[in-house]
Amino acid sequence: MRWLTLYLRSRRVPIALAAAAGCTAAMWSLWSVSSNAREVGVPMVILTVLLLVASVTATLAGPDEALDRTAALPWPPLRAAHLLAALAVVVVLLLATLITGARFGPAWLVIRDAVGLLGLTALGAVTIGASRSWFLPLGWTLASVVFTLSGTTTSAIITWQVQDPGNKPAAVTAALLGVGGLIAYAAAGPARRAPAEAAL
Amino acid sequence: MSRILRIELRRSAAIGAVLILVLAGAVLLYAAPKRWAPGWMSLAMIQREYLVLLWPLALAAGAWQARREHRSNVAELFASTARPRAQRMVPALGAMGVAAACAYLAVAAVAAPWIIDTARYLPATAFVVVAVGALAMVAAAWLGLAVGRLLPSLITAPALAVAGIGLLMVIPAATRSREWLALVFSPMYGMGQYTDYQTVYGRVSAAQAVWLVALAAAAAVLLASGDWRTRVAALLPAVLGAGLAIMIIPRNDEFVSNPVDPVAQEQVCADGSPRVCVSRVHSGLLPEAAPLARQALEMLAKLPNPPTTVHEDTTTFYPDTSPPRQADVVLMSISVDKDGHLARKAEILPRMLFNAGADMSGCDDSWNLAVSRAAGYWLMGREPGPDYFQASPEENAEAAKLWQGLRSLPEQEAAARVGAVRRAALACEKLDGLLTASAR
Repeated sequence: MRWLTLYLRSRRVPIALAAAAGCTAAMWSLWSVSSNAREVGVPMVILTVLLLVASVTATLAGPDEALDRTAALPWPPLRAAHLLAALAVVVVLLLATLITGARFGPAWLVIRDAVGLLGLTALGAVTIGASRSWFLPLGWTLASVVFTLSGTTTSAIITWQVQDPGNKPAAVTAALLGVGGLIAYAAAGPARRAPAEAAL
Repeated sequence: MSRILRIELRRSAAIGAVLILVLAGAVLLYAAPKRWAPGWMSLAMIQREYLVLLWPLALAAGAWQARREHRSNVAELFASTARPRAQRMVPALGAMGVAAACAYLAVAAVAAPWIIDTARYLPATAFVVVAVGALAMVAAAWLGLAVGRLLPSLITAPALAVAGIGLLMVIPAATRSREWLALVFSPMYGMGQYTDYQTVYGRVSAAQAVWLVALAAAAAVLLASGDWRTRVAALLPAVLGAGLAIMIIPRNDEFVSNPVDPVAQEQVCADGSPRVCVSRVHSGLLPEAAPLARQALEMLAKLPNPPTTVHEDTTTFYPDTSPPRQADVVLMSISVDKDGHLARKAEILPRMLFNAGADMSGCDDSWNLAVSRAAGYWLMGREPGPDYFQASPEENAEAAKLWQGLRSLPEQEAAARVGAVRRAALACEKLDGLLTASAR
């Protein structure tokens, strides 16, 4: 238990959780104030997923990755568990809104986008570092939200975040990104940087 | 100072931001080159429309850069230097401003070679539109810096980008009937191209520039501020700028949505005769259009009192205007393909010759597909077949029957009947039966 507390603190999990909850609350209030409809608009749902994923990215690396690695711990399962827990936080926060007056749904779309975006972020953390890992998910998702393509398989893959929940190519893309991110992050861990720069 | 700026450019997020912004802008532009291939003004306006993505990204870039001091744990150390805070912020402002503006201009430069051969008309307005776009990027980067310094968290940058794109998407809906208000506050609003002749009025650009300069100034004050009093004072330039911009922009009755540039619509003629003219904005396509136009005039020469000139059809739908119908002029509608060249060349001749060379787009119900197509195919000297009208087999059979009737007549009589179709079409009269009954 003591280890877990220290681990969560070193990864700044409390702040990240507060940020995620704050983002959800902010988006929830925005929708409640501006619209009478119970179902939140799909672009807003996607952007909220993006924000939540961005708020948990800070936890993907500790202050000193090189020091972390010297610990005699089974890192791969720990990292995988960390990523899955982050996914659970994102999904649970949004699915909890389904019982309120502003529903961030459909559930399947939330899960797909959370899996895909978190996987993409994890891939970013492995390659360019945790603090920069939100670059690609952000740019890709914003572009998809504004310039939605549909019809062909290719267009469904290119803008997978905004496809209908039942769209197969989009689901496969998200699953591939999610699994790829999970495996890469569990196996390799976040990219190593100078401690001063890694400080978040 | 320039040495400090150089160091700042090298050691800040400036270069990375330029690379990401240029890549994003170039991908967006080249994903649909048909939208901006018609000319320089189209390129300038469509690039402004893509601020919907570049503007939030510039905000994020600024916020990311602003975390540097916090990230490196040197905020206290820097605060102990004997320099005013404002002075310490100048290099960062300079570097991110230069980066944002250069990225915007570089995106335009990446697109320019694509249309440099075909685009001729380069009005000063195009430069103004690009300059306002670059200014919007600078304002976004500075605003990002200011917000990022106030809230130095990893999530600030992505959250700011999401807020920025949300703002751009919400502004048109929020201002609803006051379209001019959306035009002031959203640098990408109203930049879609309904016609190739579209422009942005100078007063609109001036109002946008005033607002963006004010926003940038407010961001700079906010960044340089050390206490809450100066932070509140940063509101002053923003409020002043917004008020001034609203006073400058054409409002209510004065406001024109999707304005058209009359100079771009002016006809520019090719050398030689017969006279073939296209609008100034399409003048680079004249060598491609002229042979087709002259071929059409040659085919029309069989008619009594044949037309002698070809003009471009400068019809626009928003606002709804069309050139006058003239007896000696045949209109040619020109569209530009994604390479900047004349699009759908095979359609041009039938389009010009249907109705025997008269434009009936303004006439409501006097049009008759079979007569129109039969007259056109008689002029072209071939049997009615599949064309851009996509007539059904029955409709085509009807036209073919009329066409056979024309062919069985003596040449002069057929020409007289087709000439009657042309006269009736020019006068917006009914075409029914003109090819079967005697013309005189």
